[in-house]
Order: sequence, then structure tokens, then C-alpha cells
Amino acid sequence: MDTFDRYVLLLLTALPFFGGLALVLFPSSRPVLIRAFTLLITTVTLGLSAYVFLSYDRSRGGFQMVQQFAWLPSIGASLHLGVDGISAALTLLNGIVAFAGTLVSWKLAQRPKDFFVLFLLLVSGVYGTFASLDLLFFFFFYELAVLPMYLLIGVWGSSTDFRTFLRTKEYSALKLMLYLVAGSVLVWVALLAMWVDGGDALGRSSFGFLDLQSAHYSANFQKLFFPFLMVGFGVLAGLWPFHTWSPDGHVAAPTAVSMLHAGVLMKLGAYGILRIGMQLLPEGAAAWAPVLIGLGTVNVIYGAVSAIAQRDLKYVIAYSSVSHMGYVLMGLGTLDAAGINGATLQMFSHGIMTALFFAMAGVIYDRAHVRDISVFEGLAKRMPVTVGAFTVAGLASLGLPGLSGFVAEFMVFVGTFRTYPILGALAVIGAALTAVYILRLVAKAFFGPLDDRWRGLTDASRLEMGAAAVLIAFLALWGLYPWYIMKVIDSGVAPIVQRLASG
Amino acid sequence: MELAWLIPAMSAIAFPAILLPGRLLPRGGAFLAPLAILGGFIVFWIVLADFLATGNAGFGITWLEAGAVRLSWGIFIDPLAVIMLGVVTFVAMLIQVYSWAYMANEPRFSWYFAVHSLFAAAMLTLVLADNLLFLYIAWELVGLCSYLLIGFYFERRSAAEAAKKAFVTTRIGDVGMLIGILLLFRATGTFDISTLIHLAQTGGIAGGALTAGMLLIFAGAAGKSAQFPFHVWLPDAMEGPTPVSALIHAATMVVAGVYLVARLFPAFEAAPAVMAVVAAIGLVTMLLGATLALVMTDLKRVLAYSTISHLGFMMLALGSFGLGAAIFHMFVHAFSKAMLFLSAGSVSHGTNELDIRKLGGLRRRMPATALCFTVGALALAGLPPLSGFFSKDELLAAVLQGRGGVFLAFTLLGAFLSALYMSRVTLLTFFGPLKREQEHAHESPLLMIGPMLILAVLAVVVGFLALPLVSGYGGFGHVLEPGGEPFHFKVWLVTLSSILAAAGLTLGWLIYSRGALSADAVRARFPAVQRVLESKYYVDVIYQWAIDHVVLVAGRFVALFDRVVVNDTGVNGAGASVVASGMRLRIHVTGLLANYALGIAVGAVAVAVVMWLMTTA
Repeated sequence: MDTFDRYVLLLLTALPFFGGLALVLFPSSRPVLIRAFTLLITTVTLGLSAYVFLSYDRSRGGFQMVQQFAWLPSIGASLHLGVDGISAALTLLNGIVAFAGTLVSWKLAQRPKDFFVLFLLLVSGVYGTFASLDLLFFFFFYELAVLPMYLLIGVWGSSTDFRTFLRTKEYSALKLMLYLVAGSVLVWVALLAMWVDGGDALGRSSFGFLDLQSAHYSANFQKLFFPFLMVGFGVLAGLWPFHTWSPDGHVAAPTAVSMLHAGVLMKLGAYGILRIGMQLLPEGAAAWAPVLIGLGTVNVIYGAVSAIAQRDLKYVIAYSSVSHMGYVLMGLGTLDAAGINGATLQMFSHGIMTALFFAMAGVIYDRAHVRDISVFEGLAKRMPVTVGAFTVAGLASLGLPGLSGFVAEFMVFVGTFRTYPILGALAVIGAALTAVYILRLVAKAFFGPLDDRWRGLTDASRLEMGAAAVLIAFLALWGLYPWYIMKVIDSGVAPIVQRLASG
Repeated sequence: MELAWLIPAMSAIAFPAILLPGRLLPRGGAFLAPLAILGGFIVFWIVLADFLATGNAGFGITWLEAGAVRLSWGIFIDPLAVIMLGVVTFVAMLIQVYSWAYMANEPRFSWYFAVHSLFAAAMLTLVLADNLLFLYIAWELVGLCSYLLIGFYFERRSAAEAAKKAFVTTRIGDVGMLIGILLLFRATGTFDISTLIHLAQTGGIAGGALTAGMLLIFAGAAGKSAQFPFHVWLPDAMEGPTPVSALIHAATMVVAGVYLVARLFPAFEAAPAVMAVVAAIGLVTMLLGATLALVMTDLKRVLAYSTISHLGFMMLALGSFGLGAAIFHMFVHAFSKAMLFLSAGSVSHGTNELDIRKLGGLRRRMPATALCFTVGALALAGLPPLSGFFSKDELLAAVLQGRGGVFLAFTLLGAFLSALYMSRVTLLTFFGPLKREQEHAHESPLLMIGPMLILAVLAVVVGFLALPLVSGYGGFGHVLEPGGEPFHFKVWLVTLSSILAAAGLTLGWLIYSRGALSADAVRARFPAVQRVLESKYYVDVIYQWAIDHVVLVAGRFVALFDRVVVNDTGVNGAGASVVASGMRLRIHVTGLLANYALGIAVGAVAVAVVMWLMTTA
């Protein structure tokens, strides 16, 4: 299997990329063929990402399944792929969410071909970002994942009139894009600076992650450029106060795109902070950690309090994402093994949970054509499976033990209490606020007598139930049995913590 | 004794087993739940025999390991755990048997049994847990199951609200508890209960951290055990099916808080300030519950406030350093209260009515139910020699010893009120003339009456366990506190409390049966008292105000701030609008999407190829 191991990451990245390109050649008149092809691709990539996750040897640690192709030796850029415990776990996340996203997009009627082409390119970009050990390709894949979002929202999204204000899909798509591009510019500046400075230190130009890791940047350089990465990537991670693209974007986006976006893309931002920021610039991270953890706490509380007041189903979920990404940022900001482990598991857990949220909100919106919580009543009677799955996601988000969110948040709490107990206490309170908005929503919209308006609603289809079942299975699996994934993640976190401690 | 983990495990497995493959079995596989708990009850006896032979034991497996943090799923068996295992499996089993008949016509029959099973499993895990984190996990699952069962009739708005209220209210306490657990972890680096207790006793935890940690953990206990100011969820929780109330009030949920304090008792003892808070909260809760139980007109609500009052008794005993007394009272209360609720369920089954003003004389139609209820009421009132008499006596002795005369006086008042409201509710429901609208009332089937009768017998006799019956057994309290003094009566206290119990019952009989005193006249005399009581001391009103005017207003403010200030001013105003119009225009003109997609991809590939050619050339 050694040969296969060396090519699996390339295959994983290339398959959706060229699959997406191949889809362009498909006749638009045969949507079934297009869907089946997409499902085939996402199923195979799910299998491959599961293989990557399971065959990662956590006792050996380090980067595995490594493969390198020279590309531009003169500037030190190469297509260099490999995963450690952290990226192996997140690769699996991408596989799951992409697969579930395909299932819930089955009935998409508007221009399915174009949709799935962009969808697959996005998925490929995410795989590539997680697997890249070369900063130039990291950035390329990062952009490949982000850019299709503009079209996916602008074309397949929905505009909503909230009476007091209007949010068009064009506005949301544009804001999202400008924001993320601005973030990318900051990241790009930092990457180039690291390339130049690292080149001087090494005596040769290199974008190679492993090379730059041994470049020993000066403390001043690290302190100067860490914020570029923290804010640049932070924008995509929903870092307060650069988060407002996210609720509007999530609300306007079609279901599968919301799932991928909140589920996986926001993790790219957090992953960037961890992998590039903290691992390459540990002293910069140490200097800026108080800011990161402070802003993360603001995210947690601010997102949760905002969510309480929302009336739109998707806005609640979107603000809940802002809140939950706060735990990720807090965990990273602890610079503590438990905290970073928790942050990484929270990326995984929140990815699954929010994908489930958006999938079920999509099912409801698809049947009811509204998302206003105040007009819903008693949906549980007509849509028991949908509502049940939504509630499971809600329970995961309020940190119920037995589901993976609890384990992740708990680890973040442990890390935070070691470093900043007051912020840790605030984070725990955030979890209680989550209970308030989730249970209010469930009680109002799902319980109570069935309103006559909703008598005709139908429950989730078999495919949608399949998507929900896959997502719930992972929430419960890591909630009840976190041992395995935690071991894998820890093997990636341990060297980072070591660098942070010695840096 | 290694088998002990099977007790919760069997019921835990019944949950998915009923929900998934169970739908193919007759009655949706619901019978798996009673089978699982019966299995648990059988294993309990094996564990008990082992325990008597070998004493305390503990073992566990690693659940999670990351960095220096290692969390385990471990169980610990000591007298307290064994007693709880017995009570929970036994009561849950009887309630499930009862439910089989009571719930027979419900559409979500198997869902009910699945959650019931999980509920028992969570509670049993909580009892066995050897570390605070594992305990917290079970603790939250107990909360979830009560949420699901209280909201069982979710089509009813009131049930949905009650379920939410229970979850959120207890959750607020749980936040404190989790912070407390984390503070203790920060101070000691461990979640293990025995280690924590050892450190607390030997001064291994700084005084401030210990006090803060234990106080916050008590907040969690107060939430679950419906102590003031968290008591508001319990009366509303009667929206669930009546057997659920029996389970919540007797064997699970509310008992969890008392159990938690008992489990960590030595650590609480090491923080005397927290013990004082426990005692004070217990006392306030006890009086609050007792006074409100006097004025409620719904049979289940009376019982609910009575539970609040008795939970207050238990906390008060714990806060008075009376571990044995508290647990014994909990043990005794479990049987009487479960039976009272099952009887109330039987009443509602036979009459479809729970308003005691519309009930009366039911003993003519439902003699077995009336007998059971009366026995339970007398036991709870503490009439000698029923079980409540013994536990009340131990409790009073503990309060006197631990907190002194003032606390004792209030406790005696509570005991008197307890007798008074139990006599009121019993007389109004089962005695007097049969109301005309209750002519059709009928006795419940044997499957329901059976468990009630078994519990009634226990409510009569378990009190004698307080006595050192055989050599080597120093009485119930002595088992829990082997170092303490064995059971003995304080004659003046026993006499006084018995007189007060009899007085309470008699006063009730005079008012509600003979009509010698008019309750209406008392009400008319003290209208202000009447108003305060019927408004339940305005606690709910204050909370509702806080939710509407603080939480929701804050939420709306932040949401508006986010949209208007952060977004519309900060983002939109930042000169983006100029660029925006340009970009927008371009997008609207073409719109051939495949081009864009291809453009992104092909462009990237082209750049790559060109650059590669340049370098190789």
C-alpha cells in the first residue's frame, strides 16, 4: 500500500478538481447523470479521506503520506503534500460534509451542472489546503476554496426581505467576497514576507513548510507578521469584529453551500492560524495570544447573545457559528495542549454539527418557503425526523455530553481555565446562552399544537435522512468515543505545543 | 462486583435498541426497557452480595487522553452507591411496569420507554461515577431525559414550555457546577472524587478555591434538586405523563442534587461556609415548598411542592452535617413519593381530573388507590411508626446537633405544615361525599395497582431500617457514616414531632373534613398572604420579567448593534460601495456561469504551465 499512500492525497485533491472540470462536458439536459457523477466523486473522496484518517499512524506522528513534485525550483515552490494528525482529522471532516452536501442538493433544479462544477472545485480546494506543505500551493488551494463561493451565493442564493431591512443575495455574496479577499491580501503579505525573510535565513528561497519551520524568524518579525495571519485567516474563521460577512453569507447561501461554508471553509481560517501562524511564528503567537483568546471570548458571548434575538432560522444558526468558532479561537489562544486539542476537535465537531443544522433548516425552508421562527408552530408533528435531527444538532451545540461538541468545548475550557480562568468562566456561560436560544427555537417552532398552515408539510426525503444519519453518527461517535480521534489530533498538536513552549 | 457497570449499560443499550431495530418488534420493542431494568435489578443483588463480602471497590477505563489531560470512565462502589443503585433500579422498574398499563394508548409508546430507559441509565451512571467529569456527563443526560419526558406531550404548548423551563433552569445551575469542577481541576489537576476529597480534607486545596469550587458545584445540585431559587421548574414539570413525575420526584433527577452533595460530603465539610449556605438554602426551600403546597389546587402540584419541601429537608440535613439523616430521608421519601404520584396517576386515569376542588369521595370508587395514597400521605406526614416518622426523627436530631435551636424550630414548623397539607389533599380527594361528576370514576388495572401496593408496603416498613436490627448493622445512618454514633431516639424530640404531626393531621381534618374551621375565612382574613402564596412568592414573575427585559433586550440590542453599527456603518460605509457597484454591474452583464468556473480553474492551470515552461526552458 506504500505507493497508494504516497498518492492518496494527490488523488483526493485532484479527483474533485478534474471531476469538476469533466462535469463541464456533461450535457445540461441530463441532471440525473450530473448528480450521479458528483455523488460518485464525493463518495469516493469520502472513502479516501476515511482511509487517510484511519491509516494515519498516530504513534509515529509527523507528516505522513508525503509526496513532493518539483514545480518552480527557482523560487522554491513545489507541490508538496502530506498530513499530520490535525489535517488528517480535518480531511475526514471535508469528506463527510461534501458527501452530505451532495445528498441534500439532490433536488436542486436551477442549473445543476454549473452548481456542481463549482461545488467540486470548492471541495478540491479544501482538500488541497489541508494537505499542502507548501505555502504557495496552500494559498492557491485556499483561494480555490474561497472564490467559487461568490458565484454559489450570488446565483443560487436567496434574498430575504426582513421588513426592517433587506438582504439581497448579491449584497451578501459581494460582502463575503470582498471580506475574504481582503483577508487573503493580509495573508499573502505575510506569506511573502516569510518567504523573503525565510529565504535569507536559509540561504535559498523556499515556500516549503518544513524548510520555513527551521528558518528561525526573529522575534520582532514574528510579532510584526503574526497579526497579519491572525486577522487575515481570522476573517474566514469569523473572528470578531470581522464576522459580519458570515451571518449574511450563510443566510443567503443555498443549503449545501451553507453546509460547506460554515462546516468546512470557516475551519480553513482557523487551520491557517494554527498551521501557518502558530506553527511557523510561535513567538508571534505567544505575544498575540491574549488578543486572540480575548476576541474569541467576545465571539462566544456576542454570537450567542445575538442569536437569542434572531427570528430567522438560518440567522440563528449563523450567529451560533460565530459563537462556536469563538471556542476554536479561544482554544488556539490558550497555547495549551488541552486547549489546542479542544480547538481542533471543535473544528471537526462544529463542522459536522453546523452542516446538520443547515441541512435540516434547508429541508424546512424547502417545504415551507419561510424561515421565520415566529410563524412556525408544531412542526414536530409533521416532520419528526427533520425536527429530531435539528434538535440533535442543537443539543450538540449546547454542549450536551454524549455528542462531540461537549468533548471539544470541555477541552477548550480546561485549557482556558489553566491560563485565563475568568474568560473560561465566560465561555461556560456562553454554553448556557446557547441552551437558551436553541431551546427557545425548538419550543417555539417545533413543539406546540400544529398550525393549520403546516399541515401539508412532508418530512425529509430518504436522501436527506441519509445525510442527517451520517452526520449524527459522527456526532455521537466522537461524543461517546473521542479516544481515537483525540489521539490522532494530539499527535499533531504535541509538536506545535513543543514549539510554542520552546519558541 | 465488576458486573456493576452492567446495571446502567443494559438500560443504556435499550435506548438505541428500542429506537432503531425495535420498530420491527411487537409494541415497538418497548418491552426491552423493563427487561433491561429488571436485569439491572438482578445484577444489583449480585453487586450487593459482593459488596457485603469485600467492601468498597472501583475500576475504570480511559476515555480520552490528550496532552496531560486524561479522562476516564470509572465507577466507584461504596455504601452510598449501593443504596442508590437499589432504589433507582427498583423504583424505575415498578414505574415501568405501571407505565405499561398507564401509557398503553399513547401513540409514542415505544419512544416513552426508550427515553425512560435512558433516564434510568443516566441516573445509574451518575450514581456509580468515580470522577466529576463522568458524573457531569451523566448529570447532563439526566437533564436531557427529563427534558424529553416532561415535553412528551409536545403538542401541548404548556408541556413544551415546561420542558424548556426545566432544561434552562437546571442548566443555569449546571454552568456553576461545570465552572466549579474546572476550578477544582485547575487547583488540583484531577477530576477523581476520592483524590479531591482527600486533598480537601488534608488542606491540599487552597481555602478560597475550595470554597468557590464547592459553592459553584452546589449551584448545580440546587438546580437539579429544585432548591430555591431554582425550584421553579419542578411544579411545571408535571406536564409530563404522571409516571414520569413519579420517576423524577423519587428516583432520578431531583435526587441527583442531593446525591451529589452526599457524594462530595467530606469536601463540603471542609468548606464550612458552603455548608452554611447549603443549610440556609435547604431551610428556605423547605418552608417555601411547604407553604405553597398548602394553597395549590392541582393534585400533582401539591405533590410537587411537597417534593420541593422535602428536598429542602434533605439539603438542610446535609448542611447540618447529617449525611446519614439526609440519605435516609431521601430513601424513605423515594418510596412514598413515587407511590403518591402513581396514585395521582391512577386518579387521573380513573377520572380525567386532577383539580382537587372537583374531586372528592374517590375512596368509594377507587378503594385501592385511596388506601395507597392515604398510607403514603401518613408516611410523609411522619406519623409513627410509618417510615417518614423515622427519617424525620433522624433529620430533626441532625439539625438540632448541627445548626441549633432556631433551625430546629423552623424544621418542626415544616414538619407540621407537611402533615397539614398532606391531610388536606388526601381528605379533599378521597374522602367526603362523592362528587356527581365523578360517578363514572373507576379503579385502575392490576398492572398499575400492583406497583402501588408494593410501594405502599415499603412506605410502611422501610423506616425500621433506621434501627440497629441485627448485630453488625448499626442502623441505616451508621452504614453511611461508620464513624458516627449508632441510632437512638431523643425522647422529647420524638414526642414533640409526633405531636406536631398529629396536630397537623387533626387540623387538616377539622378544616377539610369536619368544616369546623373555614379555610375561606382564613383567606379572607389575610388577603395579602393569600395573594403572595397564590403568586408563588412572585419568583416566576420576577424571572419572566428578567427574561423579557434583560435577556431579550440585550439580545435585540446586540443584534441591532451588529447590523447597524458593525455591518451597515463599519462595513458598508468603508468605501466598499463604489467598488460594489462596479462589480455588481459586471456580474449582471454576463452570467454564463460555466465560464466563470472554467475561468478560475483554467486560469490557474495555465499560469502553472507557463511558469513551469519558463523554468525548464
